[in-house]
Amino acid sequence: MALTPVALPRVLCLGISDMAEKNFTQAMQPQKSRIIVHGALLRRLSPVVTIMAMLLVWHGITEWQLVSRILIPPPAEVLDSLVKALADGTLAKHTGTTLGEMIFGLLFGVSIGLAIGYAIAKAPLLEYILSPIIVAFQSTPIVAYAPLLIIIFGTGPSSKIVTTAVIVFFPSLVNTIVGIRGVSPRLRDLMRSLNAGRWQIFRKLELPSALPVILAGLKTSATLAVIGAVVGEFVGSGSGLGVLVITARSQYDTPLVYVTVLTMTAIALSLYGLVALVEWRLLHWQRRTA
Amino acid sequence: MFKLVRIVSLISFLGAWVASAQAPLVQERVLLTFIPNVQFAPFYVGIEDGFFAEAGFDVTLEHLQEPEVLDLVAVGQANFGIVSGEQVILARSRGRDVIYIFEWFQQYPVALVYSDALDLSDLRQLRGLKVGIPGRFGASYSGLTTLLSSAGLSETDIEVNEIGFNAAEVFCLGAVDAAMVYANNEPLQIRSRAQAGDCGPISDVEVITVASQVDLVSNGLIVSRDLLNTAPDNARRMARALQAALRLSINNPAQAYLASLAYVDTLPRDAALITELQAAAARQTEFLALEPGREAVAESRAELLRQLSAQFDPGVLTQFQVLLNTIELWDADQLGRSDLASWEAMRDTLALLGFLGDELGDLSDAFSNDYVMVRNA
Repeated sequence: MALTPVALPRVLCLGISDMAEKNFTQAMQPQKSRIIVHGALLRRLSPVVTIMAMLLVWHGITEWQLVSRILIPPPAEVLDSLVKALADGTLAKHTGTTLGEMIFGLLFGVSIGLAIGYAIAKAPLLEYILSPIIVAFQSTPIVAYAPLLIIIFGTGPSSKIVTTAVIVFFPSLVNTIVGIRGVSPRLRDLMRSLNAGRWQIFRKLELPSALPVILAGLKTSATLAVIGAVVGEFVGSGSGLGVLVITARSQYDTPLVYVTVLTMTAIALSLYGLVALVEWRLLHWQRRTA
Repeated sequence: MFKLVRIVSLISFLGAWVASAQAPLVQERVLLTFIPNVQFAPFYVGIEDGFFAEAGFDVTLEHLQEPEVLDLVAVGQANFGIVSGEQVILARSRGRDVIYIFEWFQQYPVALVYSDALDLSDLRQLRGLKVGIPGRFGASYSGLTTLLSSAGLSETDIEVNEIGFNAAEVFCLGAVDAAMVYANNEPLQIRSRAQAGDCGPISDVEVITVASQVDLVSNGLIVSRDLLNTAPDNARRMARALQAALRLSINNPAQAYLASLAYVDTLPRDAALITELQAAAARQTEFLALEPGREAVAESRAELLRQLSAQFDPGVLTQFQVLLNTIELWDADQLGRSDLASWEAMRDTLALLGFLGDELGDLSDAFSNDYVMVRNA
């Protein structure tokens, strides 16, 4: 038995009468609620604490010169670079480009993933027909064929959108297949016995049942979208965070490289958070049931 | 007793001599850019023909991106690296104290390639054309800026397209009118495509090298200031070993190609070609014993290509031809030396692009010719 802060005093009081134990439990209630409140607060603060600790370690590394400043610049220099990049519009311009490519790529890739995933879930023969192509695409590192996408789709944003779409497609596809196949056959039979049509079965049963799994796939896709867009930009582009990293690196502006990488992280986290929020809103019925 | 002392002394002397003769080689990483390629032949020759070992080094080669090469040398994680002079200026302007001690490429390797249907006899005719570059960074961008500047133009006078390192494909698809490329490699590929009818309407190409307009400092060997302070002799021995290997590569390209086979998997290794190159290398060694001048050696290279072209398909010889083209960019009476004017021209280009940081200081501190052998190896 794990000894929680509440369980520990109870163990120590073994052997006291039931009444005494009841009184003890009642006396402990305010303390228990305080512990719960503190626990919730700690949970909320823990990411902040982690980030603060990381910043302190980072500062310590540069302050005591454990690693050359050429490789790891001090946090203050990175902050200065961030302020400068925000002020002169560099960061906004490149972030806007990457965000645009990501969003279009995400919409494009996820839509295709959902459609093909649903079709495969309903018609297993399709899985045999399409899986060689899908697995081949997925198992080949995108950096290997991204230059080909640039040649085929041109040097404009369309090649980056396709790169993003390719990388976000697979998690959507797999989770849609798993989600739709996971729908209870008995519930499906029940719907059919009630003369529900295909659309009704989809809307009232399949979609709500598969949604948690589909949304989990969307979370993965959202974080992968940054990788897709940036890989496309690395291969050939005039704007975007991938270009900014290359430019900053080629000019030995290490703080700006850090700013760009942190911006990519922030975008990925924000997109993940956005999908989590959508999930929280859409799956409120699940929490009610629970 | 006296005899015994003499024997002991003799044994001690022989022991010391054997120990010094077997002094272990110093392990050194030399950081290169790009990927293993016949263009790095002098380094393969340096290892295979024992120039580095003779200088006391057991060299291993690693390939990284230029900024990584420079930073690893700057922080002392590697002692030697190859980068372009442009990178040295940029890095020094942001606090990296690296010194360029050997100019490997005597000519800046970047060029503008365009269809022979275009008339660009005057560079001002570039106005309004679409020009492809890998991106707004690196040697190609500096080269384009220099070309434009030499014609009194700026980037706003043309349409710049960032096409990545796909110049041959994008150019042949007709997406750009001209492209910045490496003079020793891509024009050869584009020309062979064009002549095979595989480059859209383009039947042949013309090339304008940046070096024909302005002398910019190019690729060379760098070390850190710390190394020069603590072990200047190591820097000197490495520079001179590279100088000797480079001279042999220039003088005997067949031998350089054969040395490259162990490092570059993609080189054609047709048995007939290798046999022919081995014979050519042996003949060239005999020829070099006569101490011919640079022009005579250049003629011998051209003659070798003519002989090989009569026997082998162009596809088999492409990489050998890349090597010969690259040798033209390396060759000079005095190898390894760079001059202040070429550094200043590069600095001016980078200043024009607004890429320089605040810490550049005196440009003459960025390079040194003290580590090069004055007479050619």
